[in-house]
Amino acid sequence: MGFETLARRALDTASVRGAHYADIRFENVLGERIEVRNGVVASLADGRGCGYGIRALVEGAWGFAASSDLTETGVDRTAARAVAIARASAAMARERFGEAPSQAYVDRYATPIVRDPRDVPLGERVALLLEAEKLAHASDRINVGRSWLDLWRTEKFFYSTIGSAIEQTIVQTGSGVQAMAVGDGDVQTRTYPGDVGLYKSGGWEIVEEAALTQNAQRIGEEATALLSAPQCPSGIFDVILGGSQVSLQIHESCGHPAELDRVMGWEANFSGTSFLEVSQLGKLRYGSPAVTIVVDNNLPFGMATCGYDDEGTKSGVSDIVRDGVLRGYEMSNDTARAIGRASNACVRAQSWEFVPMIRMCNLNLLPGDVPFEGLFDGVRDGIYMESNRSWSIDDRRLNFQFGCQIGWEIKNGKRGRMLKNPTYAGMTPQFWSGCDAIADAASWNAWGTPNCGKGEPMQTGRTTQAASPARFRQVSVGVGYS
Amino acid sequence: MNRMRREAIARRAVERSRADQTEVRIGTSDESLTRFTHGISNQNVAADDVTIAVRAIVNGRTGVAAANDSSDASVDALLERAREMATFAPSDPLVPALPAGGPTEAPTGCYVEATATCDPGSRAKIADDILTRVEREHYWCAGYVSTSSSGTTIANSSGALASFDGTDAQVNVKATAPDSTGFAEHHAADVREIDGSEVGARAVELARASAQPRAVEPGPWTVILEPPAFGELLTYLLGHFSAQSFSDGSSFCSDGLDRTYFDERVTIADDYRHPLAPAMPFDYEAQPKSVVALVEAGVVRNIVTDSYYANKLGRPNTGHALPAPNAYGPQPLNVVIAPGTRSAQELIASTKRGLLISRFWYIRPVDQKRAIVTGMTRDGTFLIEDGKVTAGVRNLRFNQSIVEALGAVEFSSALHRTGAYGSSLVVPVAKMERFTFTSTTEF
Repeated sequence: MGFETLARRALDTASVRGAHYADIRFENVLGERIEVRNGVVASLADGRGCGYGIRALVEGAWGFAASSDLTETGVDRTAARAVAIARASAAMARERFGEAPSQAYVDRYATPIVRDPRDVPLGERVALLLEAEKLAHASDRINVGRSWLDLWRTEKFFYSTIGSAIEQTIVQTGSGVQAMAVGDGDVQTRTYPGDVGLYKSGGWEIVEEAALTQNAQRIGEEATALLSAPQCPSGIFDVILGGSQVSLQIHESCGHPAELDRVMGWEANFSGTSFLEVSQLGKLRYGSPAVTIVVDNNLPFGMATCGYDDEGTKSGVSDIVRDGVLRGYEMSNDTARAIGRASNACVRAQSWEFVPMIRMCNLNLLPGDVPFEGLFDGVRDGIYMESNRSWSIDDRRLNFQFGCQIGWEIKNGKRGRMLKNPTYAGMTPQFWSGCDAIADAASWNAWGTPNCGKGEPMQTGRTTQAASPARFRQVSVGVGYS
Repeated sequence: MNRMRREAIARRAVERSRADQTEVRIGTSDESLTRFTHGISNQNVAADDVTIAVRAIVNGRTGVAAANDSSDASVDALLERAREMATFAPSDPLVPALPAGGPTEAPTGCYVEATATCDPGSRAKIADDILTRVEREHYWCAGYVSTSSSGTTIANSSGALASFDGTDAQVNVKATAPDSTGFAEHHAADVREIDGSEVGARAVELARASAQPRAVEPGPWTVILEPPAFGELLTYLLGHFSAQSFSDGSSFCSDGLDRTYFDERVTIADDYRHPLAPAMPFDYEAQPKSVVALVEAGVVRNIVTDSYYANKLGRPNTGHALPAPNAYGPQPLNVVIAPGTRSAQELIASTKRGLLISRFWYIRPVDQKRAIVTGMTRDGTFLIEDGKVTAGVRNLRFNQSIVEALGAVEFSSALHRTGAYGSSLVVPVAKMERFTFTSTTEF
């Protein structure tokens, strides 16, 4: 029986049992992970999953049930379970909060790809990783070399009682290479590209863009050199961050605090709350006028790019921070309505068995107008840092401390000697207020993160924070090693 | 899907495989969770699934294929797919024979029918009890109540066949007062042990006691870590006891075992049988789990292994494999810290000036080899003066080597189960003499 027929049955069952709105999302997921470790294929795995999740709204309260049982009986049972859970939610609720979406869509979307990764022979995929990993062993101090490839293809079929029927095919691809050097009581690691690899929506062209074999030896050499590099100094310095590190800085200090469910306390017991309070909308100076951050779920190559989110809301572009001032949030239908706005389609579920919730999607720092090398001009005494190695931020997203894999000192506008263990710390608004230059579009990249955690049960999200390198004035450096 | 059905599918699959060696792993799960905040359930969910994974080994080459369809046709396709994938990997001479398994016995209390059959109304009742208790103080809260059941069956071509069924119930809540917060949790195999009002009351008490927090200076402090805080910190040391990190040279103890790294009062075991956290008696290769003495009186004695690392390092297989494919190496998942002799109250009473910490947040490694981590306090941080808790304090950031922190430590006499990110920990309250804080917050 096809998904559409099963969907009709599920939605009818939910309605008959008392739901005044219901939707069902089928997903057919295909994933492949190949990982090479020290010349051995440590993972060569192919995973396929198919199932569905049903949301039911009863008396202003939501219930969600999911199953991989694709029989008529299974669908009936799961729809009934979703309604029973919604009734339990309603019984304990002090107020009606949930409401049905109002806009229905009938549409299709597919990720544009140049070459389907599965058209590349598996032997060729494995051979690429073996070669890259081998090259990363640039010295006998490289104890661990790794290279990896992730391929995901997700087919989604969304139907709702208000008439939505949306089919989407999302293709996401990522790869990376890493070298870990050990010696003299120290461990130093370098990764390329960025700190987790290059992850984007798209096909094999994303792997080609990563250029693993062209960079593997260099990162092996850098990891080795870091063992004997001087320690990054401690003190107050001007700092230039590479693009992937700026991406993570956005992720942790803007992407998460701008999730409206978190602002409303829904994540308080787990991933925390937010300093971006609703009363501060349009008033809070988040950063310098150079800082504009937007949600763009139409972004080419964005990991979260799709036609519609998992509530069936159409993707679009909206401001979070404009010219340094807080302007908006990442929102769902219910949370947006609570502050008098409309959803900006930021609802995602990890896969069919998870409830859709607000997730950081494509949340990007718009590029500035300075060439990358121009960031160094005017830095008399500073540090340039690349590729994250450590990240931590408090549960209101203010006090943060990040570490990078590698740094270089900057003296009078010139990049100098390599430094190991660079760290920096600060408070979010002060840090972004010190951002006085952002590199231009030539170095802007859609840096994807494949493993963002949130929610209970924990869900892993795939998100992008497009960014270019940026300069920050008067930053506390060297914390943790001083 | 019950145990008999899982075993029938697994046996059939192993028999039909054309690979040199074959492992079939079947997992079933039925998990429900009720999340609540501000007087509503913001997420109330349930999901059931089955996963079938086949590991095929051909001439030292390994492929894994998985799907959530248990039909004969799907399983047959998995067998072929895994075998086909294996042909693309280079041969690894260290790949050993799959473990032959052996008799295992699940500890008492792993499976409780009342938890497996807990309905949405019962979870909502616990959540409602917590909400009611917190609302009485005019605080707000966020938390969850979860119940789950799971089944695992593993069979392989070396003759192993192992099955396990377990249940778990968890609740936690953070209560928020005007300028303070408090946290409480309860983990159990039997949901009937959980009293929502009692859990809510504990969170309320911490929030009330930490009201009007004072600022204290960062720097070295004597700290007393409640079980959720100590457990979270310890989580970031456990990977160092993996044979993989030991072999890589990235573990703090890679330079050698049988050396003193910690205070002599530190004894750590991996023990799936502990009554506070009974667990599966075999690993994800069907190897019976050993109870492993990781640390004895401050001396690191052992690391945990799986079949691959046992073969590579010439050590016994301790039964700590994760599901294949596993690039993380074997891991200790059932860690128990041996208790001390004094009560938690006595540890506080013996402290001239220090901090009592309820919970940590966002701990991350800063320096792998030295096990330096950073993180924040949250949900109840208190000043101890002259043996008494005198005030709540604002939250602080720490940068601390866990190895060094365990170099001067005393534990309470009572143990508690706490949990974080897929593993369970049985830990006491811990008093550490020199713990370094590097910055503060305004809350």
